[in-house]
Amino acid sequence: MAILPHPRQIQMAVVDWLDQRFPFTQSVDEALYQRVPNFANAFYYCFGGMVFVLIVLQLVTGVLLAIYYVPDAAGNPAPAYTSVQTTIMKDVSLGWLIRGVHFWGANLLVVMIVVHMARVFWTGSYRAPRELNWMVGVVLLLVVLFFSLTGYLLPWDTKAYWATSVTLQVMRGAPVVGGLIASILQGSSTLGPQTLQRFFDIHVFILPALVLLFMYIHFRLIRRHGISEPL
Amino acid sequence: MKERAGILVTQWDGYLREGPGAVTTAVPIVEVESGEHVLEPPSKRMQIGPDHILYPILIGLALFPILMGASGHHLADDLPEDETHPFFPDHFWPYPVIMAMMLFTVGLLAALVQQNMQLGPSADPRTVVNPRPDWYFLWLFQFLKVGNEIITAYVIPAIIVIGLLLWPFIDQALGSRLARRLHWPWWPVPGRNVITGTAWVLFMTFLVAFTFWAIVPVTIFGIGGSTT
Ligand code: HEM
Repeated sequence: MAILPHPRQIQMAVVDWLDQRFPFTQSVDEALYQRVPNFANAFYYCFGGMVFVLIVLQLVTGVLLAIYYVPDAAGNPAPAYTSVQTTIMKDVSLGWLIRGVHFWGANLLVVMIVVHMARVFWTGSYRAPRELNWMVGVVLLLVVLFFSLTGYLLPWDTKAYWATSVTLQVMRGAPVVGGLIASILQGSSTLGPQTLQRFFDIHVFILPALVLLFMYIHFRLIRRHGISEPL
Repeated sequence: MKERAGILVTQWDGYLREGPGAVTTAVPIVEVESGEHVLEPPSKRMQIGPDHILYPILIGLALFPILMGASGHHLADDLPEDETHPFFPDHFWPYPVIMAMMLFTVGLLAALVQQNMQLGPSADPRTVVNPRPDWYFLWLFQFLKVGNEIITAYVIPAIIVIGLLLWPFIDQALGSRLARRLHWPWWPVPGRNVITGTAWVLFMTFLVAFTFWAIVPVTIFGIGGSTT
């Protein structure tokens, strides 16, 4: 005698329960079975998807790196430096691989986002009604570049330190707002532990939130417009 | 409240119905267009006019429908069935494959090309090293060395960013005018347009050329590449 209902029945009951509270089935249907024009199968339409896949990889590997990374720049060698150079690269099993994937993923991401943008430009897909989505795309590009800029400092080696020092110096020279932006980023009178703390905060909290928000808007707009026709 | 199969709730019209959306007071409903959406009656809605003080906030709230609203009519709905395919699984399946391939590539790079990932010594303000940005900022790094710093560091990058943001509108405004002047029947997309197509290729060439200039030790017009 069966005491438990069949798994299928449990599933139906759960879906029914959800449907009564939210158009669950309908939402899933709309998300999954939306029809896509056949011309969208051309290979150059997959670049945006590749950027998305890479961002997901960056989020996953980034979360893993954050388990061992220590955003502390006090002393020499700084704990931040040691946590990357020793803990992640040598002690933690496969740490070197996770960092490698995050590192090379970041490089590939920049390449693919430019390739995606070049395709959108080439096919004129920024034209009405997609202007807003192009602008969302430019924001995403800036977010990704800012990710690289802040991530570069995190290992806290001399190379990163001096590159960031030059970047901040250039920013400081910008007319009107330069000084303000540079001092917000730097966080203290010299490039030091405060700066690392802020770059870390931007890299792991602010930018991921922004990138997710803008990617969501990007995809909603694509769903609305459909993919543009090829050349 | 009566008990039936689903949940019973008092809805906006004061009737008991199944499903979400409960409010306790009865409010008359106004049907719009499709009959799917329900708005408050005009007397209850906020008056929106050109002098509305909430406009700045409303612009911010414009995010809301983009984030949560219905995305409406789809282009593919107008195409014949045999010219479309469902997103899942037909359009979706390559992506897990692409993901696996990319993960493999990046993993291979991580395993084989360790050199680029090597760190220098821990940062020390006293040991000054020759600063190098990431490779994708090299073109800008090199560009800073040519000409007046205000122009190369701020004016041109700002023009590039604002130009990119506004590009759809620039293309539209200049394009229709240029096309008329050149007696073209229309203004084609960049891929089929000698003017915008060439401009794009030249811009990309500029980025690539300056990146190379920053890497190789050549001196052009007295401005050095990788050595300085
Ligand atoms: C995080 C970065 C980005 C992600 C994840 C992303 C993702 C996507 C995806 C998946 C598509 C569907 C079509 C395709 O894959 O080609 C798309 C289309 C589009 N993207 Fe992006 N994109 C990003 C950045 C950009 C940038 C930098 C631009 C331009 C400045 C841009 C502009 C557009 C436009 C206008 C479309 C519509 C194209 C069409 O309908 O043919 N995107 N994006």
